[in-house]
Parts: sequence; structure tokens; C-alpha cells
Amino acid sequence: MSKQAESETFDPVDLFPDATEMDLRPGVDKCDKNGNCETVCPVAEVNEDFPGPKFQGPEQWRLTRKGDIEFDESVDKCLNCMRCDTACTNDVPLGQMHNVARANYVKNQKSHASREYLRNKMLANYGTLGKLGSMMPRISNTVFGLGATRWLNEKLLGFPSERSFPDFATQTFRGWWSDRGGDATSTERAREAREARGETGEDKKVAFFHGCYANYHQTEVAKSMVRLYESLGYEIAVPEQSCCGTPMFANGMLEDARGVAEGNVDTFGSLVEDGYDLIATCTSCSMALRKEYPELFDIDGIEDVASHMFDAVEYLRVNEDLEAELAGADVDFPAMTYHAPCHGEVMGVEGIVTELFADVDGVELEDTGDVCCGLAGTYGWKAEKYDDSMEIGAEMFEAFEEAPGEVALTECPMCSAQIEHGTGYEVKHPMELLETALVES
Amino acid sequence: MSKPSTIVIGGGATGVGIARDLAMRGVDVTLVEQGNLTHGTSGRMHGMLHSGGRYAVTDQHSAEDCMTENRILRDIASHCVEMTGGLFVQMPEDDDEYFQQKLEGCRECDIPVEVLSAEEVLEMEPYLSEDLERAIQVPDGAIDPFRLCVANAVSAENHGARIETHSEVTDLLVEDGEVVGVEVEHKSGAGSRVHGNEGETEAIYADHVVNAAGAWAGEIGAMADLDVEVIPAKGVMTIMNVRQVDMVINRCKPRGNADIIVPHETTAILGTTDEEVEDPEDFPEEKAEVDFLIEEMSKMAPILEDARTLRSYWGVRPLYEPPGTGTEETEQITRNYFVLDHDERDDTPGLTTVVGGKFVTYRKMAEDCADHVCGRLGVDTECRTADEPLPGSEDGAILSDAMDRYGLRSPLARRNKQRLGSRYDDVLSGADPNPVVCDCEGVTRAEIRDAIESAGTDLNSVRQQTRASMGTCQGGNCSHRLAAELHPEYDEEAARAALEELYQERWKGQRHALWGEQLDQATLNHALHASTMNRDRDPTDVSVDFESFDAGRAVADGGESDGD
Repeated sequence: MSKQAESETFDPVDLFPDATEMDLRPGVDKCDKNGNCETVCPVAEVNEDFPGPKFQGPEQWRLTRKGDIEFDESVDKCLNCMRCDTACTNDVPLGQMHNVARANYVKNQKSHASREYLRNKMLANYGTLGKLGSMMPRISNTVFGLGATRWLNEKLLGFPSERSFPDFATQTFRGWWSDRGGDATSTERAREAREARGETGEDKKVAFFHGCYANYHQTEVAKSMVRLYESLGYEIAVPEQSCCGTPMFANGMLEDARGVAEGNVDTFGSLVEDGYDLIATCTSCSMALRKEYPELFDIDGIEDVASHMFDAVEYLRVNEDLEAELAGADVDFPAMTYHAPCHGEVMGVEGIVTELFADVDGVELEDTGDVCCGLAGTYGWKAEKYDDSMEIGAEMFEAFEEAPGEVALTECPMCSAQIEHGTGYEVKHPMELLETALVES
Repeated sequence: MSKPSTIVIGGGATGVGIARDLAMRGVDVTLVEQGNLTHGTSGRMHGMLHSGGRYAVTDQHSAEDCMTENRILRDIASHCVEMTGGLFVQMPEDDDEYFQQKLEGCRECDIPVEVLSAEEVLEMEPYLSEDLERAIQVPDGAIDPFRLCVANAVSAENHGARIETHSEVTDLLVEDGEVVGVEVEHKSGAGSRVHGNEGETEAIYADHVVNAAGAWAGEIGAMADLDVEVIPAKGVMTIMNVRQVDMVINRCKPRGNADIIVPHETTAILGTTDEEVEDPEDFPEEKAEVDFLIEEMSKMAPILEDARTLRSYWGVRPLYEPPGTGTEETEQITRNYFVLDHDERDDTPGLTTVVGGKFVTYRKMAEDCADHVCGRLGVDTECRTADEPLPGSEDGAILSDAMDRYGLRSPLARRNKQRLGSRYDDVLSGADPNPVVCDCEGVTRAEIRDAIESAGTDLNSVRQQTRASMGTCQGGNCSHRLAAELHPEYDEEAARAALEELYQERWKGQRHALWGEQLDQATLNHALHASTMNRDRDPTDVSVDFESFDAGRAVADGGESDGD
């Protein structure tokens, strides 16, 4: 959606300081009822009681009057996958409508004393949970891995016992980063790389939004990104940061999300002023900062942050001649199967990796096509939604089954958890593949 | 001893109001209407429940009537009314002195008022212009004319009246200088639209005839060589796709054009203009009028400038002033109403004409007219229409558990309740499964079937009762679903004719909104209907064996496929 087109029609965030009081009815004007959104909704496909994105977005908003606080409870079953938002041919702000409706529903209609609410609050604030777990990673992994713990988690909190919690890395990415000498080391290494490449540019500066997962769990992804970007001459800054808020949006906890957004916009906004571009290895994090923040909050400097936010793969595609870099690379990699995350489609990364490696010797890479994995961040971590989550993922599991690859490749940590759970494949991130091809070879 | 009998001509608010009133007093009533109920001015009003504030400076008698009736209607017709509250907004170029006059005028007419600062107003209505100075809050609201008229007609029928729609009066029957009845021609149409036989003429006799034909009152009078000088004045209204405001917004300046926004159901209706026309059935509808409306209203609510409009429509006010008054501008003509006794006035007994007035004061007009008729008929029963709730509003209790019982999603359940009032339970228990048939307005099958019971194949009447096809896509996605609900009671041919009639009616109003999103919508609707139903050709020539599809698709093993 072009920012300009959007701001010309209406900009409710300017009017409503409290995000849950936004009046999104004028956005309904763009909907021509063509039903594209309904054809791509993964939940509607497996759950016939789910009314779908057109009802939950434009139709429900249009039926609302001032003083009506009731939103339909089904909005709680929406994945926030944004596929409808991407599919809409008329720029209806579906994601925004669903997010605000869900926040209204959770705030005004859901019991705040229920087990479910407590569990959702925990999931939404995973940043805090991850921090605790990573303090004693080995003990956490042992405890979370115990059958008894999993049973208790299901009984007490409604986490599905079928799923195993992701392991905590023995050292967080931030720990590794500061041991390595922090931002100063990065500046030095990037300068050396630029010299070796015969480049001068001081403007090769990126600030890294690592999010929770790359910090506590998949630290390899973040480390690969660092080595790859530095080898191409980029100085990296890793500032203090909070969770991006994605799990909070998805659980209708907009007030919590506003809190993290304010902090992140403040931190990354000043880096943008200092000439940094912003990157993330997780497509949900980059989408939150680029799309959801400006749609839902009116925070000073938010547009600057949003317009400088990129996915790490996308950023290189835009700013480097990766084909030339890859020319002649000889990689010995097992055959791989790539899955594009839904939020990756919003960010526009789908297809980049498969296209890049199409002509690289030693890489066999096939795409699972346009399917949703079904985990959708926190959705699949709820016992009552486990079956739907797996049913949505069925098409993707099948695609992995049929493709020759033995290793999976995806940008999204939650997709990777679902792929592991459903197929048993080892999952890699494109950053790791690119590092292997460009740095190690 | 047979009951005294009366014929009421006109199925607008006034006509059905009179029919209800007389029927409740024990008079034998037959109401005849050329189209369906609200075919004329009532169906083309602004949807506003006046507080009277608009008339508080220049037409105080009307203003007081408005306020009195406003209170009564909230009581007896709660399911037709939404008390949104209203504002008289002062813009920088509007006169302070007039603001004061308005305030005092309202107080003199017993209209509750409150002055609000610009900040207070913008907090309530954030899409209004930030330049506004201040506002007066009054108890304006929104009212649904279709629902109100239908409820009045149902009540009249419950008291023994006969309601004849699609029956045009072709002559007044006059014997020895006295009006003794009417001659009507029953128009064609299937189902319950047929009374007597299609196209046949019927003479109906009664002790008294009431002419409540509104803009057509002059024509009716002329049938008995009587002079009733109704001044037809047209006004344009434009319907927006969404409610940009939740209160009635009036411009606080002397009564003029294009100065009211009414939040009506899911839409906002802009209005209006005031211009005398020659013929109430044939007058120019010009795009310039719509443009003017949007341009003027955008001064108060800038968001309207680029907002999507669904359609525009024109209504004709049947204004009346006693001969010799000679007011220059139609907007200055009083909104008072007049009961004309043709015996006194023209030595033609047996006929009473009621003219002028406003939709909001329909009940009071009906009461005065019925009092007069009862005086002529020697009936001395009291009027009870202000105390007895209309069908649908008898019981204000909200049936919150019904939402769960009927498995309706919350915004739909809420809308259903608002539309059906106390009939909610009865209607919704009438269909299972009960899917949503019209997505835009959230109308379910149960409501459609309930409306079909009284409207037959007249899908426009179904539309008026339920709001189905009155939303964003203007029937593009649901008009054929509505027609399908006519089956099996009506055959394919009748369903097709009903679909075409509704589709054309929806198209008629959209012609005045064909730019931007609504142009896209109309194009999409046309493409959908043409490509999926072959409706741009003439499918009625083709005989389709629909029943062979009912059993599902035959599959290779001879069993039935269960679909995928």
C-alpha cells in the first residue's frame, strides 16, 4: 500500500491517542466485496465457523456505531498472518482493522481472570519469558523438555503438550556480541572489509533489530547475518531493544504493544537520524516496525523508522549486486526446500532466495509455494488451536514431503518451529546459506 | 349495525397513521396505495427524527409539534428510532446572533439544549472540521420510515383494516355531489401483490374518503373537480457508504440548503435542497445538485469530500399553504399541516384532505384528521395511537441471550435486534440454518423469509423492511440470493422477474454515484452478474433443468460425491 495514498484518504491515528478507540469505518470505503481476502485466509479454509477477513474487517467495522463496544469473538481466532491484507486489490486496511477489533474485543469482552488470558499474556510478552529462560539456559531446557512439565503446561496453562519448547541457546546473541567487542569491533571489521573490496562509503551502516528469537534461541542466524554484512562492508549497531510487539498484536494486547513500540521507535529513530538503515532477520519483526507501528500508533518519528526498516535478505537484494557476488560461488549444500513466511510476503522477500540461487552450482532449492505454516507466532502454541494449526500446515508439510530437499529454509523462526515439529527437518535461515556461499567459500 | 367505513388514499406515513388510528377506534378501514408502502415522499425522506431545532427560530408551531412527537415516537416506535442526538454547529462564517436566536428559540419550544465547545464537539465527532466554533446539542435522532410505516400498517391490519398496495386510484366516485368511494386499478405482480385479479378495476364504497396522497393530493382532488393546491418541492439526498458521524449534524445558520448530515443505520445521509417542481413524478435529477451537496457539507465535515457515496435520491415535499399566503421561497413555506374539510370548503361532502406537515408529525396529523373524520361519522372513541406501542416496540427488553441461542455474531445480533425489536425472537426462530444472506447489512435468512411472507415477490419491499441490498455493494452480491429465497413458493420465472426488478431499482440510485469506488463497484457487479449468471444476455429463453443439480454431482462409481 502506498503510504501516500493512505494518508490522503484518512489517518485516524492522528485523532485517537488511545489505539483501541480508533474509528476505522472510513477505511471501509475501499472495499468492493470482491472476496480476494476470503480466498487466501488459512483459518477460513480449515474452520468453517470462522467468518473470514471480509466480515471481520470492513463488514464488522461498517456495522459499528459509536458506543458499540462489541466485536465478534471470532476475531480472536485470526492468525494475524496478513495474507488478506496482501491479497486485497483495493488497499483496504484489513490488518489494521483486525488488530484494532481484536484489541477492542480483548479489552472489553474477554475475561481477564481466565487461564487463557494469563497464558496469552505470557505468550504476548515472550520477551520477558525468554529473558528469564535464557538466564539459566541449560536448566530451562531440561525443565521445559520434561514430559511432566509439558503435561503440566497443558493442564495448567493450555500449552499443547505435543509441542516441545524451543531450546535456549547457551549464550544469548547479545552476550556473544558484547564478548566480541560490541559495535566498535563491527565498525572495525566492516572498515577492513571495505578496504579489501576497494570501497570507501561510510554510509554502510545498519542497526540490527534482533527480536527475541535470534537473541535467545536461533543465535546462529544473527551471527551469520553479522559475518555476512560485515564481509560486505556494513557496520552494525546492536542497540538495547524490546520485543517488536508482534505477539502482542496477535493477542489483542495493543497497550502492551504500544509500550514496546515507543521504546523501539525512540531507540531506532535516533539511529535513523544518525544515518543508519534498520534490518531484522525475522520477517515478523521487520513487518511490525514497517507496517503495524505506523498503522496503529501515533508516535513521534514512527514514519522515519518504518520507512528505513528492511528485512535482512531484502536489504541486500536492494543494495548489493548479489548475483555478481554469487557468480562463481561453489557451495556444497544438501538439497533444500524453501518456505516463504506469510509476513515475508508482506515484506516482499518471497522468491528472493530461490531466484538468487537458481544458477548457483551445488545448490538445489525448491519452493513450497504459497502456503501458510499454521503456527502463526503464538497461535499454534495454544492447546485449543493446535489441531487447526496442524491442519493449516498440512499443505506445507505435504510440499516438504514431495520436494527433494532434506533441509528446510525459511526467514521466520516460528515457521521454522512448525517445520521442525511437522517434518523433523533441520531448518536454516537464508542468512546462513548466504554466509556459507559468500563468506566461507 | 355495520361499522362506519372509511377509505384512506395513500400509503405513506400519514395514510398508514390515519388507517391505524381509525381502525383502533373501530372504523372499518381500507387503505389504497399506488405502489408499495412509502412509495412516495415517506420513502424518500431524510431519515431524520427532528427535535424541532431546525424550525425553532422561524416556524415555532412546527418546532413544538416536532418535539412533542419526537418524545412520543421514541416511546411507541423504539425499534424504528435511533436516538443519536444532534448538533447545530457554528462555523467561523456563521452569525453569533443567529446562534443565540437558535438557542432561545429552542428553549421557547421546550427543546432541551446544551452548548458545547469546539473541543467537546471534536471529541464526540472527530471527523468534523477543526475550524468549527461551537455547537448546540439537541435531541435529534434517526428514524426508519419503512419500518415505521410497515409497523403502522401491521397494527391497522391487526385492528381489521384492509391494506391494498399496488392499487392506483383512477377515479373518485361521486354521487349527488358527494364522494362515496374510489375506483382502483390493481397492478400486476406475483404473490401477495395481487389483489383481486391483475389489471382489474375495483370500485370500493365507503362512508368517508380521506385523501392523504401527499404530493399527489392535488390530482386526487381534481378527480372530483376540487382544487387542492399542493406545491411539490424537490430535495436531493446523498447516501454515504459509512457513518462518518454518529450524531445528526446541522449547520447553525438560517434554514437553507445542504446543511444536515443524518447518521442512518450503517450510512450517513447528506441533505438537502428545496426547489419547486412542476410534476411530482417527473422532474430533473441533476448531478450538479449532488455535487453542490457534497461541496457544502465538506465545509462542516472535510472527510466527506473524498468519501464514497452509494447513491442519491430525490424526494418531493407536498408543501401546502392556505390560498393567498404567497410565500416566495419554498424553504420558507410553513411545515404545518392542514386538514381540509371539502364539505365546508367546496360543498363536496364525503371527502377530507390532509396536506403539508412533516414525517415526524405524521401521528399528530393522523390524529387530527381521524378526529375530524370520526366527527363526521359520529364515532366518539378517543385516539390511542400515542399510548399504544407499534408492533415491534411493545417490549423494550433486550434479549441478550438470543444471540447465543441463534448463533449470531455479535454485530449481526445487535443489528437484528435493532431492526426487529420485540419481534426478534419470533422471526429468528423461523429459519434454521440461518445464514447471512446480505453481508453488507448483516441480514439473515430468517429476516428475509419473514419479510417475504408479507411482501411476496416484491423484493423492494423486502429490502425496505430488512435493509438487505442497501449496503456497500448495493445488491451486487445478494440480490440473487434474495430472489432465491422466493423459491419454492414462487417459480423460477417469478424469482427472475423479482431479481431484475430489485437489481434495476438499485441501479437507478447508483447512477448518481458513478465515480471513484462506487463506479468500480458497479462495474464489478455488472461483470459478476454477466459472467456468472449470464444476465447480460437473456437467460429466460433457456430452460435449465435445475432439479437435476439438486442431488449433487454423479461420480464414476455411481455413488454421490460429497463435494470436496
